[in-house]
Amino acid sequence: MAGDTMSVNIVSADRPVWSGTAKMVLVPAYAGGMGILPGHEPVLSVIEEGPLVVTEPNGTKHSFEVTSGFISFDSNKLTVVVEKGRPTANEPIDESGLQPLKYAE
Amino acid sequence: MGSQLALKSRIASTESLEKIFNAQEMIAASHIAQAREVALNARPYTDAIFDAVQTLVSHSSHISHPIVRKDGDNPRVAVLALTADRGMAGAYTSSIIRETEDLLARLEADGKEPQLFVYGRRGVSYYRYRNHPLVQTWEGDTEKPGVEVADAISSALLDSYMKPEDKGGVSELYIVYTEFINMVVQKVRVLRMLPVEIVEEDKSAHNQPDTTKVPEARALYSFEPSLDEVLDMVLPKYVRSRIHECLLEAAASEVACRQNAMHSATENARDLINDLTRKLNASRQASITQELTEIIGSADALNNKEE
Repeated sequence: MAGDTMSVNIVSADRPVWSGTAKMVLVPAYAGGMGILPGHEPVLSVIEEGPLVVTEPNGTKHSFEVTSGFISFDSNKLTVVVEKGRPTANEPIDESGLQPLKYAE
Repeated sequence: MGSQLALKSRIASTESLEKIFNAQEMIAASHIAQAREVALNARPYTDAIFDAVQTLVSHSSHISHPIVRKDGDNPRVAVLALTADRGMAGAYTSSIIRETEDLLARLEADGKEPQLFVYGRRGVSYYRYRNHPLVQTWEGDTEKPGVEVADAISSALLDSYMKPEDKGGVSELYIVYTEFINMVVQKVRVLRMLPVEIVEEDKSAHNQPDTTKVPEARALYSFEPSLDEVLDMVLPKYVRSRIHECLLEAAASEVACRQNAMHSATENARDLINDLTRKLNASRQASITQELTEIIGSADALNNKEE
């Protein structure tokens, strides 16, 4: 029913953190990690402090440190609302380690 | 001659004042861009929380959270006045203070006991000087209130609101702030922030593109861990973001007020300089004329003598 991707919007109290499309998002839900795929049922869930990983359709992963907040998923749109959120230091995480070499050639 | 010297020194001092006003005006103009950016950046967060509250409200027929409704007739109410840290902003702080005084008088007439919270150095010093009891005050950064100060203020107010009556809790929260309408017009407003009045939005007002899907989707919403726990979490955040919004709006108004005030001050200084320059010229001309008549007069007298 739903496509392969969903739109993701991460906002913190003072600024938008990230927005784009993704094929999977892993959020630190109140009872452990929770993966959200496109077409998930509408949900409003409390999340805890922890890492949040967004996987883009091309496989690129972005990871963020978020404080407590909540997520809301509706009509294939995921909104992550947190007090504070920032990309973790080594973002973006590149899955294929060979990619940088390609650019070097 | 003395008056010419006095005029010259007045012109010089007015000129330096004019430079200061002009600089202040330009500083305010640059701050407006910043204030706008901060407000725009905070917007998505506020919107997201508002959407979540809407969803929650549409799913629970009866919300009994204290933020929405408080029982009992506790006469204590909290009033938060948002003033400026610095002057030179025209009537900004004084109109807030006037409105606050009005509100306090009105609340007292209703048999309530208002407790005052003030943000901004000007407001704090006004009430301190008059020995008005203040519950809590915050100073600094009124021009660009960050998340930290907004957090401190909203935590203090929420704490005070959530405390039971016998421990000094309050039953309502009012905010006196300046609404930013545009660069020229700012209006003082009194807002009752708590308890929150939640009005269920008309379904047709949800301007989502795929309207056929939405009602069905809303019916299937699931809440984790539970509706009540999500409410407990989201409602305080909603209040916080509303308070933050007020702070940002007040900051934008303050900067705009300051720019306007400094603009008219610069113009006044220019008018004054023109006026004084004219007076100086007239008095210099008068003294020249006087010297000339004296010389001509004495030359005439000498001529008459020789004849």
